[in-house]
Amino acid sequence: MLLLQLLINGLVTGCALGVIAISFSLAYSTTRIFHVAHAGVYTLAGYVAFALAGLGVPDMVALLAAMAVCALVGALIQSELYARLARRRATHLGVLIASLGVLAVIQNLLSGVFTPNIRPFASAWRGRTLSFGGVTLTQVQLVTLVVCAAVYPAALLFTRRTVLGKQIRAVASNPFLAEITRLEPQKTYIIVMAIASAMVAIPGVLVALDFGVQPYDGTTVLLTATIAVIAGGVGSLTGAFLMAVLISVLQNLSLLVISGEWSVGVTFLIFLIFMLFRPRGLFTRR
Amino acid sequence: MSSPMHHAEHTRAVLAPPTISTRRTVLTLLAATIGAGALTVPRRASAADPIRLGAILPLTGPDASVGIQQQRGLRFGVSRLNAAGGIAGRPLEILYEDDEGRPDQAIISFNKLVSLEGVPLIFSAFSGPTLAMAPLATRKKIVLVNGGAQADRLAKASPYLFNTIPVAADEIAVLAKYLISNGKKTAGILYENDAGGSAGRNDFRAAFEQVGGTIIGQEPVTFGQTDYRPMLLKFASSKPDVLFVMLSDGLGPLADQIYQMKPSFLIVGTSFFNDPALLHSPGSNGWLHTQVKIKAPTAIAASFKSMFNVDMEFWGSQYSNATYIMAQAIARVIAQKEPITGENIRQAIFDIKTFNVMLPAVFATNTAAMEIDIARIQDAQQHVVQAIKLG
Amino acid sequence: MDFFLSYFILASIFVIVGLSTNLLVGVAGIFSVSQAAVFGVGAYTVGYLLSNDVMGFLPALVLAGALCLLLNVLVTLPSLRVSGDYFVVTSFGIQLLATAAFTNWDGITGGASGLAGIPPADLFGWSVDNSYKTLALTGVIMCIACLGFALIMRSPFGRLLLAIREDELAVAAAGRNVLRAKVEAAGLAGVFAGVAGGLYAVYLSFIDPSTFDLNASVLLLTMVVLGGARTLAGSIVGPFVVLALPQALAMIDLPTTVAASARQGIYGALLIAFMLFRPQGLMGRRL
Repeated sequence: MLLLQLLINGLVTGCALGVIAISFSLAYSTTRIFHVAHAGVYTLAGYVAFALAGLGVPDMVALLAAMAVCALVGALIQSELYARLARRRATHLGVLIASLGVLAVIQNLLSGVFTPNIRPFASAWRGRTLSFGGVTLTQVQLVTLVVCAAVYPAALLFTRRTVLGKQIRAVASNPFLAEITRLEPQKTYIIVMAIASAMVAIPGVLVALDFGVQPYDGTTVLLTATIAVIAGGVGSLTGAFLMAVLISVLQNLSLLVISGEWSVGVTFLIFLIFMLFRPRGLFTRR
Repeated sequence: MSSPMHHAEHTRAVLAPPTISTRRTVLTLLAATIGAGALTVPRRASAADPIRLGAILPLTGPDASVGIQQQRGLRFGVSRLNAAGGIAGRPLEILYEDDEGRPDQAIISFNKLVSLEGVPLIFSAFSGPTLAMAPLATRKKIVLVNGGAQADRLAKASPYLFNTIPVAADEIAVLAKYLISNGKKTAGILYENDAGGSAGRNDFRAAFEQVGGTIIGQEPVTFGQTDYRPMLLKFASSKPDVLFVMLSDGLGPLADQIYQMKPSFLIVGTSFFNDPALLHSPGSNGWLHTQVKIKAPTAIAASFKSMFNVDMEFWGSQYSNATYIMAQAIARVIAQKEPITGENIRQAIFDIKTFNVMLPAVFATNTAAMEIDIARIQDAQQHVVQAIKLG
Repeated sequence: MDFFLSYFILASIFVIVGLSTNLLVGVAGIFSVSQAAVFGVGAYTVGYLLSNDVMGFLPALVLAGALCLLLNVLVTLPSLRVSGDYFVVTSFGIQLLATAAFTNWDGITGGASGLAGIPPADLFGWSVDNSYKTLALTGVIMCIACLGFALIMRSPFGRLLLAIREDELAVAAAGRNVLRAKVEAAGLAGVFAGVAGGLYAVYLSFIDPSTFDLNASVLLLTMVVLGGARTLAGSIVGPFVVLALPQALAMIDLPTTVAASARQGIYGALLIAFMLFRPQGLMGRRL
């Protein structure tokens, strides 16, 4: 049963990570910007919900509010910072540093306002558990699993079936051509960033409900998500999601055989092996 | 567009003898240096002059949650001392520096406080920065006061480093004896993978095995990592009698997850369990821990709460206690009409030896001996189960 | 005086690392967030060798440089076969792996508690045991490093690197081995970082994994970008300014509890401002 429980836990955290990965993938494959500040948006979501829940707002409403706030923040980062940098022909490194700056600002703003402590939500429904088949899950874990797993097909449907989704993919595949035709890439970038930010707010709030909010841990989480994106194949949402789940499950299961100190190492080892033998990732589009 | 010639010229241009650049460089350096060095005019001492001490704490960065609470403890101590007339009639003032939890920043802050501000004593926190500053404290004869870190190396790091809290090994020895005498034979260890946590792991292993117990597993967590489920599951399957936990933050989520899992083992730990987030979680019921006698009297704790709007808890009372101890030592130096230097303060601490301050402490060595209790957490309260007096 | 000395000593050490990062990232265009890891390897190498009395300071320094050269080469060789952002993640990975190694390899690195009591450097009987002597040592090595960097940039190799930075395809089409040039640049960068690490270890006499983590790598990157990538002056000005920033910002009066977070946040805001309004850094030139 230990194995099964570890597997299920891995699936839950994996689906959450999967949504972070898809949201990053969407933003990255369209704008080509390694948007490190995404970790800040993820963290911000948790705090927005935390603040609202503290005021008595029901958790699910707080989640929606967090999504809205994050969408706005993401859009602003794109329109006020990245777009300006692009106009000034900033180098790739310059954009990355600016993104890091945004991350630092967000993290420290949150730390200053909410203290740097790990703060759990007060909601009573969080800890209630359900058991079936020898496996125990909290209600939050169940919600996380269901909601995040649903985001994946929703994202796929969006990019493949909707007009906006197809527009985004068109801009992503050929920005130059998009510039010449009527596709207005700059406007698309803003929309994509808004969508990606709203998307990452979902695991941002759900994980915070499970584990509490803290200002500085978003960076490591985002990093693992970016590994999932790249190992899964840039541009492939399926690859990103599947790799995220795989990495989470492996991290959980690896504890059976090796000491926890090295589990991070295992993840990156797997990534390095990928880079050596299948650098384009699992699923490639072109 | 990119011919080799163009590049050669470009490179030469980059390396051309700088003219405007030199001026700019010099100006920038000058500005930076002036900005960096707070140029304070040295003060002439007088009877009513404030006594200025230093404090180097992690006020930002991952350790800041603890650092800021420690700062509150110091501020509280200062305000209480000054309300009672200060030290020998002189107000106490503490200058705070942020070391971000990094040893190299701590050293810069140390040098700044000592060279520029002339402080004879510095409060510090966390083993890493404190251990880094210890050799400097010895060389410069500055008293370094650690009020929170419990790494064993701190005991002998410097003749000028005083630990106002027993090191982890002292508490853990007490805990191990208690567990064995209560029939617990096997244990697992869950520890934070940093200096304090690994030292705790080593101490518990040594102490528990020495009294006849067996360690059946150990799992590290990174500071701030809150998903304990995999480790807890692993322990649940190996079924130790007790799980020894050495974490400085994140105990609240741990208790939540214990509550969700309901494992069979007993959770034990040290003074670090004195954490409101932990106490308020129903999962903490039944947890056992050693408790250095740090509970401030109710009136004082209430006063702290009304000043800062948070509970006093561990760090708040430890660090305010440290100010009382040091204030007494400085008062003695003043009473003996000696200059307030690190050397004299150090001597005073050993001369006084027994400090009957808020939380009594005895300094036979550089580390305080204090009463250590065994307490059980039940319904958000800690109930002393056994008291082990000052040895 | 000691305060100013410690500032200058640290600044000169970070200039050397800055040159390393500049060579790797600014000149060769290899994006890296694992510079602190290499810096750490240099520090731990010298720290370990000196603490255990295996060899003198100068030989230890040489060994540290060689080790870091090897490390950088081993790391860039496979990863540069894939392009651009993939290497960013690899770089993150190396940084995290190194931190894990520093933390867990108790026997050699002292583990999470770090390596304490590293003896001062001893140069043929001249013991570098106070701040003035340390500044002399780091100052001299910094000047040698700057000279080295300037010479590299003037050499055909340096021009080749700059050319690759401008237009990699053209250079490859011209028949030059791009991969080899990049790996060589990475190796050289390793030497600089390793030497700086060794100096750092003997100056602080105490090193632990927290000094060489991801945040440190980001700080190093910031120093180079703020100072100005690709220029020698930038590698000097960057560290001096960035190290002074927390002290300068400390002069702004804010309520103590919020002050510290506010300062860090302002730091981040400064980064954004620089990238928006002066991306070539303080000393760089417009391309």
